[in-house]
Amino acid sequence: MSILVADGLTHWFGRELALEGVDLVLDTGEHMAVLGDNGAGKTTLLRILATALRPTAGWLQLAGLDAFRERRRLRHYLGYVAHSPGLYPALTAAENLEFFCDLHDVSRSRVAEVLETVGLTQAADRRADRLSRGMQQRLAIGRAILHEPKLLFFDEPDASLGADAGDMLMRIMEGRTVVLATHDHALANRLCARTLILRHGRSLGTATHLRVVK
Amino acid sequence: MNRYEKAAGGAVALMLLAAGAIFLYAPGDYLHGPVQRIFYLHVSSAITAFGCFAVVLIGGIVYLRNESPSADRIARAGALVGVVFTTVTLVMGMLWAKPVWGAYWVWDARLTSTLVLWIIYAGYLLVRRLAEPGRQSARFAAVVGIFGFADVPVVYFSVSWWNTHHPGPLIINNALPPEMLATFLFTMLCTLVLAGVMIGVRYRIETLLDGRHGVTERAHVVASRRPEASPEPVP
Amino acid sequence: MNPFRVAVAVARKDLRSEWRTRELVPALAQFVILALLIGNFGFQIDSRNAASIAPGILWLALVFAGLVAFGRAFAAEREQASLEAMLMTPASPVAVFAGKAAAAFGLLLLCEAVMLPALSLFFGTPLSIEVVAAVVLASVGMAALGCLFAAIVARVRARELLLPLLTLPLWIPFIIAGGSAVQSAMGLPGNYQEAIGLLIDFDILFLVLTSLAARFVLDE
Repeated sequence: MSILVADGLTHWFGRELALEGVDLVLDTGEHMAVLGDNGAGKTTLLRILATALRPTAGWLQLAGLDAFRERRRLRHYLGYVAHSPGLYPALTAAENLEFFCDLHDVSRSRVAEVLETVGLTQAADRRADRLSRGMQQRLAIGRAILHEPKLLFFDEPDASLGADAGDMLMRIMEGRTVVLATHDHALANRLCARTLILRHGRSLGTATHLRVVK
Repeated sequence: MNRYEKAAGGAVALMLLAAGAIFLYAPGDYLHGPVQRIFYLHVSSAITAFGCFAVVLIGGIVYLRNESPSADRIARAGALVGVVFTTVTLVMGMLWAKPVWGAYWVWDARLTSTLVLWIIYAGYLLVRRLAEPGRQSARFAAVVGIFGFADVPVVYFSVSWWNTHHPGPLIINNALPPEMLATFLFTMLCTLVLAGVMIGVRYRIETLLDGRHGVTERAHVVASRRPEASPEPVP
Repeated sequence: MNPFRVAVAVARKDLRSEWRTRELVPALAQFVILALLIGNFGFQIDSRNAASIAPGILWLALVFAGLVAFGRAFAAEREQASLEAMLMTPASPVAVFAGKAAAAFGLLLLCEAVMLPALSLFFGTPLSIEVVAAVVLASVGMAALGCLFAAIVARVRARELLLPLLTLPLWIPFIIAGGSAVQSAMGLPGNYQEAIGLLIDFDILFLVLTSLAARFVLDE
C-alpha cells in the first residue's frame, strides 16, 4: 500500500502561488529527495506533506488516512525536521529532548539513545544556545526521531551538519519512509533512490538515480 | 444599470425620504432645538452598526465551523460597513452632545461601549490586512470578531455598574410623541436597508477579489470532498 | 499524555527558560518602579489622595507590564519555530496554550509581588489580602486574553501596534472591576464583594471562550 498519496497540492500565500498541482505517490520504505532552487517551493511542499501546513487546494493521504482530518492520530507516525531548529536556547540538549519525550509520551530513556544516534552524547548537558549550528541541527533531527516515526521529513539538512552527516542520515533513514528537501544534487543522489524536481512551484516529475548535467 | 446600481439608487432614495421625514415631518423639540434631529440618524446608525457586527460574528462562527469562503467574505463586508456606521454614530453623538450636555464626550456606558466597538472593528480590519491572506487572516479575524462581540455587552455592563457608584450626567429619555417615533422607525428601516445594500455590494467585491486568488466555492468544495479513508489502522 | 500534564510540562519549561535567562522579570520589575516614580511626580500624590490615585497607577503599570509579558510568550521567531515543533507532537494545542498562558501569568504574579509592596511603601496605601485577591483575580482573565491575542499577533505584521489594540478593549471590564475592588479595599467607598464577584464572572466567561478559541489560533 502506498504510504503517501498526494493529489493536486496547491498553495497560495496571499497573491503568490507557491505550489501548483503537485502529485506524488510514495511506497513504504522509499526515500525520496525533493530537488529545486531557492523559491521553488520545497519547504512549502514539505510542510504540507508533514501536515504542518494546510494547502489551499488538493488532498493528501498518509498511511491510508486523510492527512488533515486525522492529523492528531498521525502525529506519532510523523517526524519533521524544519529548516530552523526551533530549540529552547536556555535549556540543555538533554532537557530539550526530555521535554519532547514528555509531549510525545515516550520514555525518557530515549534521550540517551537519540543523543548517541546523532552524535551529541558529549554535549548532552550543554545549553542549546552554546551548541554550534551543526550541532543544533543534529539536535533538531534527534528531536524528530524520539518517538520513532515511520515517516520522516527533512527540510534542507545542510553541510554544516558535519563530515559524517551522510552516514548519520543514512542510519536514521533506514527502515523509514523519508522525504528530503535539498538543493544539493550530490546529497540527493547519495541518500535517495528517487528524486522529485520542483521548479517555480510545479513538479517536473520524478526520476530514479538522477544525473544532473549542468 | 446592473442590479447593484439599482439597489444602491433605491437605498439612497430611501435615505433621502428619511431625511425629508426628519426635517419636514417630525416635530421640532422645543427643549433642544433643531440639533435634536441628529438623534434619528445617530441611534439608527448605532443599531445598524451592531447589526453589522452581528453579521461579522455569525460569519466568523460559520467560517470556523466549516471554512466556507462565503462566510468569511460576508464577515469582511459586514466589518467594513459596520466601521462606517460606528464612525457615523460616534461623530453624530459628539455633534449632539456638545450643545445638549456642554461636552463632546462623557464616559457613560453607551458611549464607552460604542467607542470600544469602534476600536474592536478597527482591530479586526487591521488583523485582516496584516495577517497572511487566506486561511490565517480569516481564522484570526473570526476569533477577534467573536471576542469583540462578547466584549461589547460586557463593557457596557461594567461601565454602567461602575456608574452606579460614580454617577455622571443623566441621559434622559422621554417618551416619544408618535410622530417622532414614526420618523425614527422609518429612518431606522432606511438605514438598515442602506447597510444591507452596502454589505451586498462589498460582498460582491470581495467575491471578485477572492476569485483572483483561487479562493472560490469550487476550490473549497473540491478540497473538502476527500475520498473515503480506507479503514486500515495506522501501523 | 493527558492535557493537564502537557500544560504543566509546557509551563515548567517556559518558567525554567525564563529563570535561566533572567531577562523578563528584572525588566518588568524596573518598569514597575519607574511607573511608580512617574506616577508620583505626575500626580503629586500625598497621603490624602493616595488611595484614589494609587489604584490607577497600579492598573496602568499592570496593563503595560502585562502587554510585555504576554507578548513575549509567543513573540520571538524561534518561539514560533519551537511552537511548531510542539504542535507536531500529539500534545493538544489547547494544553500547550494553557501551559504558556499559565507561565506568563506566573511571571505577571511575580511582577505584582514587587509592585504591590512597592505601592504600599511609597504611597502608604494598605496592602491587604483583599487588595492582593483583587489583583490576582483580575490577572487570571487578563493573562488568558493577553496570551490568546499574543498568539494571534505573533504571526502577523506590526505586532507591537496590534497587541494593545486588540487586548485593551477586552481588558477594560477587568480594569473597571479590579480597579473598583482595589479602591474599596483601600478604604474608598465601593462594594468590594460585588466587584470581586464581577471579576470571577469575567474570569469564567473569558477562560471558557479562550480555551475554545485556542485551537483555532494555534493549529493550522
